[in-house]
Amino acid sequence: MTIVIQIIFALIAMLILGSALMMVLAKNVIHSALWLIASFFGVGALYLLLQAEFLAVVQVLVYVGAISILILFAIMLTRAADLAGETGRQWNNRWWLSLAVAGLLFGALIVPTVIGETWNVAPTEVAGAAAGQATGIAGAAELGRGFVYEYLLQFQVIGVLLLVALIGAIVIAYDETARRRRVLTLAEELELKKRQEAREAKEAKQSRKGKGEKPLPAPVPTDTLSKGNEGNEGNEGLVVR
Amino acid sequence: MYDIVEIVLNGWLGLNAPEWLLILLRHVLVAGVLFGVVTLQFFFLTIYERRAIARMQDRVGPNRAGPEGVFQTVADGIKMFTKEDIIPDAADRWVHLLAPCVVVVPTMLMFAVIPWGPGMVPVDMDVGLLFFFAVSSIAAVGLMMAGWASNNKFSLLGAMRAVAQMVSYEIPAVLSLLAIVMVVSTATGSGLSIVSIINHQAGLIISSQEVSSVPDLGLGWFVFTPVGFLAFICFFIASLAEAERPPFDIPEAESELVAGYMTEYSGMKFGLFYLAQFTLSFLLCAMTSIVFFGGWQGPGVSWLYNQGVTPLNPDGNAWMNVAAGVLGAFYFLLKTYIFFFVMVWLRGAFPRLRVDQLMSFGWKFLIPLTLVNVLSAAIWVMLTRWGAAQGAGFVEALGPANDSFARWGLAFVLTLAINAGAYYLLVRANAAPGMDEYVRVDDELEAVKA
Amino acid sequence: MTDAVPLSWVLGLSGALFCIGLFAALARRNLVGVLMGVELMLNAAIINMVAFWRYLEPRFITGQNFAIFIIAVAAAEAAVGLAMIIAIYRNWQTVKADEVDSLKG
Repeated sequence: MTIVIQIIFALIAMLILGSALMMVLAKNVIHSALWLIASFFGVGALYLLLQAEFLAVVQVLVYVGAISILILFAIMLTRAADLAGETGRQWNNRWWLSLAVAGLLFGALIVPTVIGETWNVAPTEVAGAAAGQATGIAGAAELGRGFVYEYLLQFQVIGVLLLVALIGAIVIAYDETARRRRVLTLAEELELKKRQEAREAKEAKQSRKGKGEKPLPAPVPTDTLSKGNEGNEGNEGLVVR
Repeated sequence: MYDIVEIVLNGWLGLNAPEWLLILLRHVLVAGVLFGVVTLQFFFLTIYERRAIARMQDRVGPNRAGPEGVFQTVADGIKMFTKEDIIPDAADRWVHLLAPCVVVVPTMLMFAVIPWGPGMVPVDMDVGLLFFFAVSSIAAVGLMMAGWASNNKFSLLGAMRAVAQMVSYEIPAVLSLLAIVMVVSTATGSGLSIVSIINHQAGLIISSQEVSSVPDLGLGWFVFTPVGFLAFICFFIASLAEAERPPFDIPEAESELVAGYMTEYSGMKFGLFYLAQFTLSFLLCAMTSIVFFGGWQGPGVSWLYNQGVTPLNPDGNAWMNVAAGVLGAFYFLLKTYIFFFVMVWLRGAFPRLRVDQLMSFGWKFLIPLTLVNVLSAAIWVMLTRWGAAQGAGFVEALGPANDSFARWGLAFVLTLAINAGAYYLLVRANAAPGMDEYVRVDDELEAVKA
Repeated sequence: MTDAVPLSWVLGLSGALFCIGLFAALARRNLVGVLMGVELMLNAAIINMVAFWRYLEPRFITGQNFAIFIIAVAAAEAAVGLAMIIAIYRNWQTVKADEVDSLKG
């Protein structure tokens, strides 16, 4: 059993790290977003291996189902920069400095700490875990209890934070100039057209009165328009004859 | 299943297989059976929908391949397989190839938590209901990939519409289930497990877990309570939108977008999208029947199951298990097919919605309604289950928790009033804004004619 | 599970993931790419939480509670961050981090 779990862990680790690396290396932004989704998925699988079922499902629901969709939408809404014909990695000029920082952090700080430290690991498998049922391990019910007893204040603060983020995101991304007119119903469109016709007829009458000899403007375009309406929408009851 | 595999491998064949191999074999066997069932379901549902919609539209429908056209889907499948698989030049080859797989795989994974009968569930997950919805939301990524990789404006528009629709209708679907989960988890402690949701629906009109003196006829469905009824309506509408069924099929509106995100797909890849859609429709109907109509619950099932081999009763009659399973699966599929018929019926009856109508219906009507329903569920829980220990001593005057018709009746009336009031207010607030405008225009036209 | 995979492996994995995310956040020119790197770093932090919960205190749920808090904060951060990116795109017609430099002296 041990070797099977180790193989599964190695596969998951390869999935997480490999797709995270591909996310950095990919030249196309959409591709790197897709690699990021694969990496999120691998993290969810790791939670499952760590027997945090609820968290694994939440990871898939929030990261794969919501945040990555948000990222894909943002990429597609800002695509003109992408279409400008840029090739290459899209890293900035001092990417080697970033590489040095990240590499040093990993090589000089994290690896020695992780190797050098001895952790006070809980004794063994919790009793009753033999049948594949992790009875001694806290599950979703305990998680909920934690939210409403111990961490009630934090829970409420998170709720307020999410509300604020929701409103803030709408306010920031809302474009005043892009606000469009509401889609009109057929009757309203007809009403608008009717008023316009009446206005035009009035103007024509006035101009005829003023100049006397000018003929009436040909009513052909409005006529064909209303005919088209009749044929398409079957809205004869409302058409003025 | 695990025991059967163990008996066959270690007992009969004497192979002394390790534990992990047995677990793996068990899951592979269950998955294999499920794949067969899914394929059969797909064949059946396709022909069912085509024939039913044909009757509604005064046609005959496919009736040539086999008796009454039952092999039409097989013929279509062969056609799909033999068709040329076209990849557009401008497409992103790998993403284009992967997208149908990313759409199909989640729908198959969702079968892992669907119970077919008493004791017949592939995996009884602690968080099964959440798993179902988490996995279904992966499909949105696949749709996005399909739309983007095709490099076609119809595909991209269709995918954007599909994803926006799926994401916004997931909220009412999950919120309406949240009400049910609240009621069940107060009773059993694990309301996210689909099996415990079904077990809670034993009884007759009233769940026997709320009033224990009710006889168990397997009819204590949630749809008979005001909370469950409103949640059922909201969930079914939201699942129509999520499965992109008419009248919510704007992502693939033929008259506007050719075929939406599927425009550039042909051959078997197109077939995979088609398969995913039908399977998702089936799964959402199944979920509706499980959560609100008791799944396999029905008269006789639990009686038969109690005679059989269960953890509590290890030396029962194994044939009773089989009988309970068959009867339970029959009830379950019957309910599911009725809901699928309603989906087909809606397709025949309603015209397609506009995008803005779809969005405002979801955000301004369904979500507030389901939020009110969550409040009703909390009141329901307080009135039926709480006592002095939870700080609600006043309801104990009506009777003991969990065993009182008076408390159940009070909860029923109160939640019904709240839900009906919320529905009435929301309908008034959402009434078509131009209604009096229509009337005014009509009056004016009458005056012009006269 | 705990005796098959030692804690240090999981911590090493999350450390590597954090550093990859850090590199992406520092080196990427595209603002969305920067945000993706930040998401990776947050994920690495959550892996640490869950690993410590599982290995050190499996009977108390605190680690998972805080993991959920981080996920909620990450979701809020992603929503606001992407809204800001869209606002930036609307004003500058670019999402390159080094081209948005109006405040430069």
